[in-house]
Amino acid sequence: MKIKQQQRDPSLQRIIWRWHFYAGIIFAPILFLLAVTGSIYLFKTEIEQVLYNDYYEVVPQETRLTADEQLKKMAELYPNAVATQYRPGEDEQRSTEFKLSEGTESYTVFLNPYTGEVVGELADQDRIMDRIEELHGELMAGTIGDRIVELAACWALVLIVTGVYLWFPKNSRSLSGVVVPRFTKGAKVLRRDLHAVPAFWITGGLVFLIMTGLPWSGFWGNGFQTLITNSGEGYPPSVWIGDAPKSSAATKEIAEVPWAAENLDVPLSTIEGLVPQSLDHIIETAEYEGLYPGYTVFLPQEKDGVYTLSIFSPKAQDEATMHIDQYTGAILADYRYGNYGVIGKIVAWGITLHKGTQFGLVNQLVSLAICLGLMLVVFSGLYLWWKRRPEKALGAPKAPSAAESKKFLLLILAMGILFPLVGFSILAVWLLDQAIIQRTKRVKKWLNA
Amino acid sequence: MKRILPLGLSAFLFLGISACGLREDAATLYKQETPLQVEIKNEPKISANQETEIQAILTQNSQAVIDADFMHVEILKQDGTVAAPMEEARNEGNGVYSFSARFKEDGLYYIRIHAGNEGSLISPRKQIIVGHLTDAEIESLKQGPKNQESSSGHHH
Repeated sequence: MKIKQQQRDPSLQRIIWRWHFYAGIIFAPILFLLAVTGSIYLFKTEIEQVLYNDYYEVVPQETRLTADEQLKKMAELYPNAVATQYRPGEDEQRSTEFKLSEGTESYTVFLNPYTGEVVGELADQDRIMDRIEELHGELMAGTIGDRIVELAACWALVLIVTGVYLWFPKNSRSLSGVVVPRFTKGAKVLRRDLHAVPAFWITGGLVFLIMTGLPWSGFWGNGFQTLITNSGEGYPPSVWIGDAPKSSAATKEIAEVPWAAENLDVPLSTIEGLVPQSLDHIIETAEYEGLYPGYTVFLPQEKDGVYTLSIFSPKAQDEATMHIDQYTGAILADYRYGNYGVIGKIVAWGITLHKGTQFGLVNQLVSLAICLGLMLVVFSGLYLWWKRRPEKALGAPKAPSAAESKKFLLLILAMGILFPLVGFSILAVWLLDQAIIQRTKRVKKWLNA
Repeated sequence: MKRILPLGLSAFLFLGISACGLREDAATLYKQETPLQVEIKNEPKISANQETEIQAILTQNSQAVIDADFMHVEILKQDGTVAAPMEEARNEGNGVYSFSARFKEDGLYYIRIHAGNEGSLISPRKQIIVGHLTDAEIESLKQGPKNQESSSGHHH
């Protein structure tokens, strides 16, 4: 049955195709890398459980060292290191962990809390899953890498929007070539369908993964988090961005601590004053307040610092960040999931869903399917181009300037404003185009510019 | 027309970026605690076997706590040899709580306050010297307070 032919603006079609083509080719490698590293990282807990099983498991005994006794043990065994974090195990069979830093090195010591024996040491640099995460989040290239990943993620949204337009069925009600590939219409059609059809299937999931991943990003994410925290509807300060409160005691009220290596030459009167709370007391508070097991205690490193208890649990609802005054033991801030604003709660759910922890295995498998789908789409997209491309050119579709279509201009402007890195990159390309491409015949020809 | 895109984008991006920054009072938009604060006052020189007055001034939300839910005091010797039972402090009004202490021997002590009011609990320890310190006590002082690194020289 023939239905009314939809009126399509052929020049808009070409403009969109051209943008989809360039964005696709440029960001294909990064999107592929994100899909691969993401697939691995989804199974972080399971992989680390296997890798570090010997470090994790301890046999419970009748007596257990207190947190302070364990801390003292660390000071004895690692006299040159500073303990920065303590993590009591989530259950009786789990070792406790101390994060120690020594110069620029930082490492975790796994301790058997029953015997006081060290069961393992692990340098941060050697944590393989952290390296995967670094690759996924910043291509192991710090801030520049972070921006490139964010750029790729934002451009992936442009790819999705333009891709959906190109995929959108034009004149047929048939589902083949739309939601199922056409296997019998020849290689050309099949190649196109193997890109467009799976892309359609993963679109929703991919948009979700991008939008839930972006709050992590250094530029867009930071701005977004600032905005929602400022609105009162995001995360309370210090959970994601912002500083922790300070311990309230005035400096003159705090007892001086003469250093072990030095003589006791400070006046004795300065010895009088408030001394920090014991770690045991902090743990008691955490238990009393019902923090989700597996939390980490960040030990104060400054005189006015606080003890910070933090748990980013598998399920968003169990998250907590608590700051405790170093001297009085007063709870200065107690932010649970329930205290997040509405947007903060949505973002928290987004993050646990993105990481695949919110709904366990089902969550992991669905996310894995999206990642595998993305790999297929990236691959088939590149293959599509490779097969079609002419010999002495890039093979970019010829199209009128984007400025010729108001609709498209508006779309790009909107994307460029919503995702400033997209905006910046468009500006950069525009400048490049004005300065070089349009003035160099060969380049212009090669790019079909 | 051709210049609208770059110009419009530049303007918006510039505006967007210059508007970013966390509000200083952001914490007031979320659940807030009302932590108790205390100042512990004692005589500058305390001798053994002499009655001495110790005061604790309790505030919450910058206001004097005139009727705390509880206010107990505990005296502990640093080496753990002396531990006086917990005592309730006298409410002197205006947020001032006091108690009399008598230390049986010289040494390094902790005065520990346990106070609670409107859901906030605190238990600060003040280290004080009674009479003269023994060499062992000076030695233990060099190792710092028993529980953790409170180093100011090792931050990053």
